[in-house]
Amino acid sequence: MKNKTFHRKKIVTIFVGCLLIFLILAGRLVYLMVWQSDHYSEAARDLHERERSIKAARGRIIDANGVVLADNKTVCTVSVIHNQIEDKEAVIAALCSKLDLDEDYVRKRVEKYTAIERIKSNVDKEDGDAIRELKLPGVKVDEDYKRYYPYDSLASKVLGFTGGDNQGIIGLEVKYEEYLKGTEGMILTMTDARGIELDAVGENRIEPVSGGDLHISLDMNIQKYATQLAMQAMETKQAESVSILVMDPKNGEILAMANVPEFDLNHPFTLPEGTDTTGMAEKEKQDALNKMWRNGCINDTYEPGSTFKVITAAAGLEAGVVSKEDRFSCPGYIMVEDRRIRCHKVGGHGAENFVEATMNSCNPVFVTVGLRIGAERYYDYFKQFGLLDKTNIDLPGEAGTIMHKKENIGMVELATISFGQSFQITPIQLATTISSIINGGNRVTPHFGTYVTAEDGTVIREFEYPVRENVVSAETSATMRYMLEQVVENGGGKKAYIEGFRIGGKTATSQTLPRGSGRYIASFCGFAPADDPRVLAVAIIHTPQGVYYGGQIAAPVVRQLFENILPYLEEMDYN
Amino acid sequence: MPQARSRKKRQSEYFFDYSLLFIVLFLLGFGLIMIYSTSSYEAAMENQDAAYYLKKQTFAAALGLVMMFIVAQIPYHFWERFATLGYVVSAILILLVQTSLGRESHGARRWLNLGGLSLQPAEIAKLGMILFLASLVCKMGRSIRMLKGFFTVLCVPMPICLMVWKITDNMSSAIIIFGIAVLMLFVASPDYKKFVVCGLLAVAAAALVVFFISQQEMGSGDLGFRGERILAWLDPEAYASGKGFQTLQALYAIGSGGIFGKGLGQSMQKLGFLPEAQNDMIFSIICEELGLFGAIAIILMFVLLIWRLMVIANNAPDLFGALLVVGVLGHFAIQVILNIAVVTNTIPNTGISLPFISYGGSSVMFLLIEVGMVLSVAKGIRLKEY
Repeated sequence: MKNKTFHRKKIVTIFVGCLLIFLILAGRLVYLMVWQSDHYSEAARDLHERERSIKAARGRIIDANGVVLADNKTVCTVSVIHNQIEDKEAVIAALCSKLDLDEDYVRKRVEKYTAIERIKSNVDKEDGDAIRELKLPGVKVDEDYKRYYPYDSLASKVLGFTGGDNQGIIGLEVKYEEYLKGTEGMILTMTDARGIELDAVGENRIEPVSGGDLHISLDMNIQKYATQLAMQAMETKQAESVSILVMDPKNGEILAMANVPEFDLNHPFTLPEGTDTTGMAEKEKQDALNKMWRNGCINDTYEPGSTFKVITAAAGLEAGVVSKEDRFSCPGYIMVEDRRIRCHKVGGHGAENFVEATMNSCNPVFVTVGLRIGAERYYDYFKQFGLLDKTNIDLPGEAGTIMHKKENIGMVELATISFGQSFQITPIQLATTISSIINGGNRVTPHFGTYVTAEDGTVIREFEYPVRENVVSAETSATMRYMLEQVVENGGGKKAYIEGFRIGGKTATSQTLPRGSGRYIASFCGFAPADDPRVLAVAIIHTPQGVYYGGQIAAPVVRQLFENILPYLEEMDYN
Repeated sequence: MPQARSRKKRQSEYFFDYSLLFIVLFLLGFGLIMIYSTSSYEAAMENQDAAYYLKKQTFAAALGLVMMFIVAQIPYHFWERFATLGYVVSAILILLVQTSLGRESHGARRWLNLGGLSLQPAEIAKLGMILFLASLVCKMGRSIRMLKGFFTVLCVPMPICLMVWKITDNMSSAIIIFGIAVLMLFVASPDYKKFVVCGLLAVAAAALVVFFISQQEMGSGDLGFRGERILAWLDPEAYASGKGFQTLQALYAIGSGGIFGKGLGQSMQKLGFLPEAQNDMIFSIICEELGLFGAIAIILMFVLLIWRLMVIANNAPDLFGALLVVGVLGHFAIQVILNIAVVTNTIPNTGISLPFISYGGSSVMFLLIEVGMVLSVAKGIRLKEY
């Protein structure tokens, strides 16, 4: 029996139909594999690739002599890869015990369904190695860097420290974050669906770029010595805190800034010993930490007291209302409107010229000078000297000046401003203003950062700081240097005198607010050599017990400092 | 001279379609290579033997080839007497799945455990249906041209289809069986109009269902198993973690293959991203490793296979033989088309394996038995008209 023709036709129809469908499917494949190829390839690569970042080494902080003040040490980051974990309980138990973590905390992270979950960073290398030794599948120990401060608490409030992600938290570490932090690298690996890395495919690496090394003007030797002296003064005078600031008045470079008590940069979250943290709320604890981290030279203001007479004298000389030889008479007080402002010497200084009045730190004379200048002009000088602006030091959180409004300055206010009361400035502001008065009249910007180098030592960035010239005339500046040298040679600052050196300076004893609390701030601002200042130092002792006069307790601190650093600086200059 | 004539006659009696055999052997061999490529990584992980799936498949293929040659030696009319028996046995075997002999895998009870050998009754049902319909159509003779005959042939496979669908929860096999029946009926009946009308109605119904489901998407969250599959088909990326997962992973594999592929063995998606890549989704890994080039080459091989079957069907010595071959052709063609369509997300996802290439022992054995029957039909072809 022969098959009918229609059967054959129909079979051919089926074949042709199939052929058409195959053509459509082939077209679909062309669309997917040519037109959509990029889209799906990318999606697939995202699925197959695992990213692991490689931390960049943070730049170091290096002092003027090349001593490393902030360095990195190797620590470990422990993470888990969910897909690779075989024995969940063993992993949780091991991580809890080795890392000293809460079980709930670890369990939550181990059980979380993510590609890779970080358990803890900044783990000591020994602990990290111990965990790696356990060879637990799914547990990954990566090495990275942790900030390390070789001198522990030295210049703690200046340098600052870094947090868990190696980011700066306070101090220079914050200010220079962009230079220090570097650029993270990346490891791209191909993995299977379980997250197991495929060795055969190899890895794609983007190398990290280390942060730049920050070079600062701070001199570790001077800083060390300043810290020692500050500690000594704090202990002998049972003071609350002592700050010593050493800077180059010519260019604003800060050589030392000690604020005792300092704190341990390697354990910045540990409150000082003896602090009772039990029963402390989280906020109270944070407040205590913030207080511990405060840099008194920059973050806090105070009434400068008699050291401010330098500014009044300079303003008077500039205005031409007073000269060195002008003669005054001090009866022990002065009447301003209905107020009787007393001199610190009860009987009065009697007859004296302006230089002698400065040596005596005579209040009535400076009130007289202030009144001669007048409120408006005095305020303008205040502004011209830069006292209303911040110094723009390269540290975060600088406090501004607290000053009367121009229209509110009456006779009494003007009188008190003249000898440094009724307003507040920061120690760095005082040091900078006096620097500009004695250095020939150039308002400098105080700073630490000088330049940044790359890993190979090439300089990537040199910092320049603005200088405002002719804040006072060269003549006034010379007169001020002379008068202040007299203060140390024969006046209230003679405790700062060192045989064989020309030293200028001014003492101050200010009362802290509220008045009458019996709390004082003793301070001294000195510079040397008096004819051509190379270094300026401010010592501020907060709330000393017993004798509290700046001339008695702060001046000797600066003398001791100068005794050591002047020969040292001469030697440095010689070299 | 008579000597020569009789020799020639003997030669024609022993006609053997080597082209078909070669195509089938090529697909089998290629399938084994791809099964090793796709499964070795996962097999090494889970069974500590990279060749675990390759060994099992090779064994099934060898057994299948033996059966193919045996069946090829048996004249195909021998099977005609078992047509009704085959229909009944298929039905019984499907019912047996629900007894203790049944085996569950991947959440579906589709397999029978027969003394260490596991087989899908649906595979037997396909073969049984081809045989039964071929013999039925031959017996009906001219009455197939009547409307009654047309509907008889259309209704006969229904019980089996429904059983496969509902009892073994295997809609794709039910569709294949029904499809085979429709194609055989199409060839047996001289009419075209009825098929065109039915085809259009089916397409319209399918479109309506899809439209209805996509509209309901916002309405109620409960669409059931298959409804969600359709939504995942329309937008696999929106269902990436659920029903669209497998499809999306297959698309990643296909798309990332590009024109020339990543090279044999270089697939990334087989490393656990596309679960059980050696099964239904093996074509996507072929695309990933061998690219558009390899994929089109494989499609061409299947076109050649279907072409050979067409030639054999057209030259079959009688209607029974032709219909047997048409059934087998329908089976292969439907399965290849549906598989590639699913893998490329041209139609909603449903589990259909790629003939001769996908992993699956009972499937490859029955496919080879069917090839054996075709070879047997081919043997009856007279090389010369006389």
